[in-house]
Amino acid sequence: MKHESYDQTKWLCDKCQRELELAKVKVRYMEGNFEVDLMKCPTCNQVFIDEALALGKMKEVEEGLEDK
Amino acid sequence: MKRIISTTESLCPVCLKKIGAIIWSENNESYMEKSCLEHGRFKALLWRGSMPMEEWVRHKVPATINKPNTEVAQGCPYDCGLCADHRQHTCTALIEVTQRCNLNCSFCFADANRNNQTDLTLDTIRSMYASVMETSGNCNIQLSGGEPTLRDDLPQIIELGHQLGFPFIQINTNGIRMGEDEAFVKQLKAAGLNSVFLQFDGINDEIYKKLRGKPLVATKIKAIKNCQRYNIGVVLVPTLVSGVNDDELGNIINFGLDWVPTVKGVHIQPASYFGRIPNLPVEEKRLTLGDIMDRIEDQTAGRIRKKSFAPPGCENARCSFHGNYMLQENNELMSVNNPANCCGKEQAEAGANKTKAHVSRKWCGHDLTAEKKQNVSHEDKEKDQWDKILERINRYSFSLSAMAFQDVWNLDLNRVKDCCIHVVNPKGQLIPFCMYNLTDKNGYSLYRKQ
Repeated sequence: MKHESYDQTKWLCDKCQRELELAKVKVRYMEGNFEVDLMKCPTCNQVFIDEALALGKMKEVEEGLEDK
Repeated sequence: MKRIISTTESLCPVCLKKIGAIIWSENNESYMEKSCLEHGRFKALLWRGSMPMEEWVRHKVPATINKPNTEVAQGCPYDCGLCADHRQHTCTALIEVTQRCNLNCSFCFADANRNNQTDLTLDTIRSMYASVMETSGNCNIQLSGGEPTLRDDLPQIIELGHQLGFPFIQINTNGIRMGEDEAFVKQLKAAGLNSVFLQFDGINDEIYKKLRGKPLVATKIKAIKNCQRYNIGVVLVPTLVSGVNDDELGNIINFGLDWVPTVKGVHIQPASYFGRIPNLPVEEKRLTLGDIMDRIEDQTAGRIRKKSFAPPGCENARCSFHGNYMLQENNELMSVNNPANCCGKEQAEAGANKTKAHVSRKWCGHDLTAEKKQNVSHEDKEKDQWDKILERINRYSFSLSAMAFQDVWNLDLNRVKDCCIHVVNPKGQLIPFCMYNLTDKNGYSLYRKQ
């Protein structure tokens, strides 16, 4: 999987055979609610979070919200 | 009906001999009672409020001190250094770099200005830093006093700490020089000062006249502005005294929130009766953690709820409470406490590590991230949004906490063994904060000035 910023990989929802699109998604962690753009299937709304994001920025946000 | 909660050990307030004590509760109050064969019975208020003390718990598996500095000989609290019986690592090490002060406060745990000790030399400070690193490893450093900013070489002391491997260095200050001497603040920032623990008792000069001997509100604001200018995080630290500023909590918190992101939080210290004190304690007038939690909710009109507070994962649960919040763009305060911490048994060592990381992350100044790029790919767009959330979390987080120091009247040695705030003495020994400052009824000190 490529994660470089120039990566323009297209992703397909296997179930719906629709190309994922960038769309606003509400994410919630503990008491925090945020709206971010994520790749989403326009039919079934399944969201795809790639490994780099999950282990990178998203993890940093989780840690930032976690208590001591 | 009185319910006995536990038994523990304490000290006689007159002779400092170790004596047994019981802790009991009735209605919303918890007391310690103890008796010395020679000096009689003593009763001290430990807790009062709608949150029962018995429910304020966080169980921990004790930590082991890897390199104790002192032998266990007479038992706690007479062998501090740390000894092998101590149950928690150092989260914050305090170094008192001077005993001089430019104020003469009615409450002063350090009893500053009352002795003729000369300032520690840089070599002594170097050996104290080294001893902390050897005994406790990497921890947060607080440079205290006296008033540390009276030393012109404070920037060198900060640089030295960083050189020796301590990433987070905070000063504990009354803010007078920080407000009056911008060039000095610039030097402190250049030396790597991360955070300022600013004595801040309220937004009303009458409070400062009573506690500090002069009006100081304008000076405090100047100090905060200078910290804002040089991007140094500020924590407001009120000494809370019943009848003086216990109705000022809401004003202090709201003031702090108005100064986010420069102000990172409020850390409340209810007055304890050690060092220089204006009078012996009147137990009914003591402010306990339970009182403070209730008052915060009342005085902030529910903007901050007491249910958002949690017991600490580092020190003993009865020593403190804290709540973490994020100021959202719509100015609403979001509680970000982790409810998973309320049950089970945690490792004390892990709690110390988390607290060290949390404090250094949340209490220091944050430089703004670089300007956004043009023509970004969808992945870059995703990352930018997460960066924006991260920046909000890091820059606009606000912590609210209180720590109840123990004095000779309400001392519970179980809490001492769990202590993670340690004062370094010039011999390089680490003494739990309350023990270092503890004085008996007549002002005789157990550790300080030895």
